[in-house]
Amino acid sequence: MNPVRVAIAVARKDLRSEWRTRELVPALAQFIILALLIANFGFQIDSRNANTIVPGVLWLALVFAGLVAFGRTFAAEREQASLEAMLLTPASPVAIFAGKALAALALLVACEAVMLPALALFFGVPIGVDTVMAVLLATVGMAALGCLFSAMVARVRARELLLPLLTLPLWIPFIVAGGQAVQSAMGVSSDYEEAIGLLIDFDILFVVLTSLAARFVLDE
Amino acid sequence: MNRYERAAAAAVLLMLVAGAAIFFYAPTDYLQGPVQRIFYLHVSSAIAAYGCFAVVLVGGVIYLKNESPAADRFARAGALVGVVFTTVTLVMGMLWAKPIWGTYWTWDARLTSTLVLWMIYAGYLLVRRFADPGRSAARLAAVVGIFGFVDVPVVHFSVTWWRTQHPGPIVVNDALPPEMLATFFFTLACTLVLAAVMIAIRYRIETLLDAKQQAFEPAPVIAAEPAP
Repeated sequence: MNPVRVAIAVARKDLRSEWRTRELVPALAQFIILALLIANFGFQIDSRNANTIVPGVLWLALVFAGLVAFGRTFAAEREQASLEAMLLTPASPVAIFAGKALAALALLVACEAVMLPALALFFGVPIGVDTVMAVLLATVGMAALGCLFSAMVARVRARELLLPLLTLPLWIPFIVAGGQAVQSAMGVSSDYEEAIGLLIDFDILFVVLTSLAARFVLDE
Repeated sequence: MNRYERAAAAAVLLMLVAGAAIFFYAPTDYLQGPVQRIFYLHVSSAIAAYGCFAVVLVGGVIYLKNESPAADRFARAGALVGVVFTTVTLVMGMLWAKPIWGTYWTWDARLTSTLVLWMIYAGYLLVRRFADPGRSAARLAAVVGIFGFVDVPVVHFSVTWWRTQHPGPIVVNDALPPEMLATFFFTLACTLVLAAVMIAIRYRIETLLDAKQQAFEPAPVIAAEPAP
């Protein structure tokens, strides 16, 4: 079986089931709006300090929305025990994993499509192509890592607890470089090109590593 | 005394001798005063921690390769001892930083990456606690250990890119007088012995625990978990 077609088929299955139920994306969008509301009261954001605070709000909201999303990535498989069925097919586990990761990435991008306009609307910060590119590049690596750990903790007792504890430290490189990139895009620091370069390096490194590890995680 | 107790006693004795060397043999630093004596144990325990996490990495890779329970036990022992030494490094570093930098903590590259290191392996220990002992837990932990080892240089590199104020490597570029250098290498050797003894004792404990829980017995063939 062609692994690319398997991955696309798995991703389409996930996205179709999300489209039919429409559970996760609306819930995550609401979660993000609530996070922005809390940030507004916590920081007293106004037009003078918005550019320095909003990058932090962006990453906090994105990281925690991502954790909620990845907590659900393997929920359907767990509840219906369908992962075993998928693994019984001749499709390679890495292709199945890639499909799950692609679908999770697409859902996260859908949340970002709500978050970035909301940031621009509520806090009046400029959201340009440079910000969008930094966020998207970080999302790729975060989705690969998040999906891997989501698959691993799916069978563990305290998975809601373990997923953030394992995933957050590994996301930090993306937040360091992505934070720098978004800060530069909003004009509070420089080094935009270096930060984007680092994000691309990290994406390549962690996508390769997760696809190497996926075999051990799914292959039971 | 059995051989574990003898090894532990010898390691403690060596650490006491190292302590004597630190306080009575090594000269007092001209600029930093007695605070500089923290350096010997601080750097030694950081190196010991890296050694322990290398054990976790190698144990994890071997486990993924051939499912050897012994490799997994070494990884478990290394993670626990490594977290202990990382804690020592962090606490001693903070004690040093307060008089020298004027603050316990700063978001410097090395401090940040050491904190992330601590977080990752503390997470590793939590995985071992929450996951039911056995093959899937060992596999999960092996992946965490490998990713953790990769992540730390990455974090360090990405933060160094923008900010650092931690003292550079003074041992390798010959900035220390011979007495300080001798004290440092002696303390380093003693700390590594201590770490090795701790790993050996912990390995023994993990072996006994595995035998008690029969964690690596062949799993019975059962159907997929029914839907709740």
